[in-house]
Amino acid sequence: MTMLSRVADRLFWMARYLERAEDTSRLVHAYTHLVMDIPKGSEPGWDILVRILDAETNYAEHYRVYNEHHVMKFLIADQDNVSGILRSIRAARENVRTTRDVLPSEIWEHVNELYLYAQETAEKCIGRRNRYQFLETVIERCQMINGMVISTLPRGHAYRFIKLGHLLERADMTTRVIDVGAAALLGDERLRSTVDPLIWASLLKSLSAMGAYRREIGPQVEAGAMVDFVLRESTLPRSVKFCLNGIRKELLPLSNNKDALRLVNKARRKLSLFDPQLCSREELHIFIDQLQLILTRLYGSIDRTWFMKDQK
Amino acid sequence: MNNSWKSYDAGPFFDELITGSGQARVAARRVVKLLQSLSDEDMASRRAAAELAIREMGISFTIYSEGRNIDRAWPFDIIPRVIPARDWASVSLGLAQRSRALNCFIDDIYNKQSILAAGIVPAEFVLDSGNYKPQCAGVSPRYGAWAHVCGTDLVRDKNGKFYVLEDNLRVPSGVSYMLENREITKRVLPELFENYSIQPVDDYPSKLHSTLASLSPRMLRRPCIVVLTPGIYNSAYFEHAFLAQRMGAELVEGSDLFVGEDNCVYMRTVDGPVRVDVVYRRIDDEFLDREVFREDSTLGVPGIMRAWKAGHVAIANAPGAGVADDKVVYAFVPQMIHYYLNEKPLLASVKTYLCVNQRDREYVLANLDKLVVKPANESGGYGLMVGPHATKAKRAEFAKLIEQNPRNYIAQPTLALSTAPTYIDGTVAPRHLDLRPFILQGKETWVTPGGLTRVALAKGSLVVNSSQGGGSKDTWIVESNR
Repeated sequence: MTMLSRVADRLFWMARYLERAEDTSRLVHAYTHLVMDIPKGSEPGWDILVRILDAETNYAEHYRVYNEHHVMKFLIADQDNVSGILRSIRAARENVRTTRDVLPSEIWEHVNELYLYAQETAEKCIGRRNRYQFLETVIERCQMINGMVISTLPRGHAYRFIKLGHLLERADMTTRVIDVGAAALLGDERLRSTVDPLIWASLLKSLSAMGAYRREIGPQVEAGAMVDFVLRESTLPRSVKFCLNGIRKELLPLSNNKDALRLVNKARRKLSLFDPQLCSREELHIFIDQLQLILTRLYGSIDRTWFMKDQK
Repeated sequence: MNNSWKSYDAGPFFDELITGSGQARVAARRVVKLLQSLSDEDMASRRAAAELAIREMGISFTIYSEGRNIDRAWPFDIIPRVIPARDWASVSLGLAQRSRALNCFIDDIYNKQSILAAGIVPAEFVLDSGNYKPQCAGVSPRYGAWAHVCGTDLVRDKNGKFYVLEDNLRVPSGVSYMLENREITKRVLPELFENYSIQPVDDYPSKLHSTLASLSPRMLRRPCIVVLTPGIYNSAYFEHAFLAQRMGAELVEGSDLFVGEDNCVYMRTVDGPVRVDVVYRRIDDEFLDREVFREDSTLGVPGIMRAWKAGHVAIANAPGAGVADDKVVYAFVPQMIHYYLNEKPLLASVKTYLCVNQRDREYVLANLDKLVVKPANESGGYGLMVGPHATKAKRAEFAKLIEQNPRNYIAQPTLALSTAPTYIDGTVAPRHLDLRPFILQGKETWVTPGGLTRVALAKGSLVVNSSQGGGSKDTWIVESNR
């Protein structure tokens, strides 16, 4: 059974938006938690979240200053922010709404419920009091939907393109977290040895990797080891390596996969040759930049090969 | 005990559940008994449960209002409508008969035109109609079937007798709501199903699938069937997606398809172009193919008419089928049944005055306050006037419209539509309703058991269309041994 290019495109984006909603929720959750631990004055500022999502331009169109309230409104409840939680959920729902015919009906029902929930509550959850509850619900429901995909969807094209969307978005998010985390910390000349581990730990938490890190490496979070872990630990579901391996696996059974495979293999090779423990912050930044460029080209290749509308 | 049942009175109308003396009808006895036993709170909570189910299942329809599309939750009344299987059996035969005759008529019109030559239907009524598509002349779809899916609106008069109000042969909608209504009732009032033998409606998608598959030009075990939708902003998009999913067919938009140099229809897939055998289209003729119909259409598939005429793809309903959907043509269906089938019509039609005939027109203009005036080829309840409920100004406006363009208007007596108990603002009150069964026509003819009941939620109103504030009810055909 084949699949319409348009449907594959929408499933891919449904998955990307759901992943984005979940990842952004994790990020906000971890950061909110972190802020309470850091002595006043030495926290990196709320702008870091906007910078991770590369949304400064969009932010500047709506808000002037980076304070908690505005940044939270922007990330949680803004209807126009494509990297925001509410907007991502809405976009995911629109994509499911137009592909319901290829998905088990429970998936639509749950995505729709998530949307109704977010639509009703997001605005009220900007303040710290209700924020956790909201973010946790979003994360939980996204995971439930993922679980349904894994446990009910036949391993055909629908599953494959959903998987590709998830993995590509997740790899992208992980590289962003590392890049900005590194910029915020390593770029600063001031010594903040008491604060740094807290921040690295919170970034690990935002990637759901804290527990795994402790078991694999130890309780002391240290920059080089942490970066290495989330980039190259092949057993960690949010590591870049894990995502790239998964993407490769999903590309293999597709027809016309040559170009996309070449790109994903290129990224994998680059990753294995890079040693985060030995590099400077500048080198790390350049490396992440190059990696993101390959991810962008990989998306372009997927789009051209399988979603294009101009086949004759 | 819910008090409003005691004072329930449908007045002069035929009520589907309650007799004139206030007793429950035999087939509805257990439904009424159970509902009467529920407290006000219980009724309210059942209704809330239904609303929640509708929201969660995402059952919606889209209306266009004030320049934007609004997705509305499907309006549903929890009290089912009950029809005894014995009564339904004869209605069902009548519907099948009607569908066969209408298909004979369409096939005749685009080929021999014998019924026109015989003078049974005046040629100008048919050939001058906007629904007659000269581009379809000479085509002979398999089994002579053009209107593969027909939605026929039925009403009952004050004696409970069924009448055909109109036939929808173009892109009739509503069948998904018939299926979803049953789902909701099962969730909300499960105990009702314990002691009843209710004819299931679930198999509609598989019947539709086999009807469509029987049209495939290629003899394949699994022909490629697609549902062609205008897209997410169409009011019936929910239904298009629903049917595609239930049939295991692809839901496509015009841009997903193209016609190759070999005059075959293909869809664009992740594995490259794949040939399509049957298109169940939910796009109006006018937008189907810009090579043949409206040039500004972006919804359809350029070249699909070429492919259809070459016999490389089946289109359901066939383009041009709407020629029998005209309300002027409606007046001649009894004659068609005689002419093509040599049978007596089993279902009554409503007396119809054709404004194009001078005598009829004079009668209509003199009796506007008693009649319902309808445009000949609108659907969805648009542009009609219910005489007894219309203002003087409205009647004057219609008199003028009729005189300007008599061909475009017909009139019918205002029927005393039947009612059924409907849960409104915490009480049970009579509301008028109609019924839309669906008839499938391929190699065989098949009629849904029951159909979609639409109910006018405003007191005294006769307008049941969901686009105009109508609701719906689950419709049960029940076996009862008296």
